[in-house]
Amino acid sequence: MVENLGEEKSIYLQISEMIEDEILRDILKEEEQVPSTTELSKFYKINPATAAKGINLLVDKGILYKKRGIGMFVQEGAKSAIQKSRQESFYETYVTKIVREAKLIGISKEELAKMIKDSKEA
Amino acid sequence: MGTLVGKNITKKYGKDTVLNNVSVQIESGKIYGLIGRNGAGKTTLLSILTAQNPANAGEITLDGEPVWENEKALSQICYSREISQMTLFGPNTMKLKEYLKTAALFYPNWDKDYAKRLMDAFHLDQKKRISKLSKGMLSAATIIIALASKSPITILDEPVAGLDVVARELFYKLVIEEYAATGRTFIISTHIIEEAASLFEEVIMIDKGSIVLEENTEHLMARAYRVSGEVEAVDKATAGYKTYHPETIGRNKVVTVLANESGIDFGGEVQVEPTTLQNLFYAMSVDAELEV
Repeated sequence: MVENLGEEKSIYLQISEMIEDEILRDILKEEEQVPSTTELSKFYKINPATAAKGINLLVDKGILYKKRGIGMFVQEGAKSAIQKSRQESFYETYVTKIVREAKLIGISKEELAKMIKDSKEA
Repeated sequence: MGTLVGKNITKKYGKDTVLNNVSVQIESGKIYGLIGRNGAGKTTLLSILTAQNPANAGEITLDGEPVWENEKALSQICYSREISQMTLFGPNTMKLKEYLKTAALFYPNWDKDYAKRLMDAFHLDQKKRISKLSKGMLSAATIIIALASKSPITILDEPVAGLDVVARELFYKLVIEEYAATGRTFIISTHIIEEAASLFEEVIMIDKGSIVLEENTEHLMARAYRVSGEVEAVDKATAGYKTYHPETIGRNKVVTVLANESGIDFGGEVQVEPTTLQNLFYAMSVDAELEV
């Protein structure tokens, strides 16, 4: 959770996505406590209300849950829930972009498919 | 509790109207950003809200009670202004330590230990004389008084103007820490918008003595867009919307749009991106300049 906040979308969305990323990468594990609103707001120099909004978004999605008097924790099954919801937006977020760029610079769909197949990225 | 309201405030200096029928409402427990260009009327507005300066017209109330010459109301408010290094009788040779002691008399909730910790955090020497302080030290001293006053409503006028980047970051962290712990109301005026924008829950934009915007920052930014693309496509997509500061390069055009709502579909012919508070402010200010 040490990336810089960008300007491309609302800060609270970036906060919630960053926490999701940490869960996907197993940096934050299920049933583990996540940083508090105050910690997040101090680290990123953002209004605590904004940080809370990002956290609450994940509570609404069932990714985090609140332990009264202690803080926010990662819900059991959070990782697969995030994977599922990101899979749904994967095509729109990534595939269309790659295909559009490939077309623009003259890479055929066949070449693109081969590139993906041969990719060294595990 | 603690709602500070200014209604129809007008302030003139001679023939100049510095504030023109301005109304603001400061709700308790929020961080407000007051942004505007140099000479927009920020300091005048703040000094009138805190009864340090009389208005020609208008009314200022705290929880419904007039603020003017109202000791009880004023004890809830701290307006920390930059310390003057000169007095009528020459340089201000008071030591910082004495100055803080004087400040402590003004603020009923003054936290002496907190002031001491803040002095250490900003590396201020309390034996130093006011007249010998650098610009950065003066800003730090102003901030320390504001924070240690523990006033329910705390106003900082251009607090970071004289600070280097390390001290500015420290300031932002301290405000968040204190706000998270106490929920005090802060009003922070600045023309260095980019750094502070994410701190503000509410933003008040002032230009040429009038309030241009007063809105929840996130709500405001959700309805602001940067639209770019071919000139004709941009013109078509943004027709009917309030646009600011159009710029063209070659056959391309970029424009800032402030719509009435978020999530507007400008169609597939143009690129739509969010914008920053600073860019929005800039675009609106540039256009306001042209109107004159």
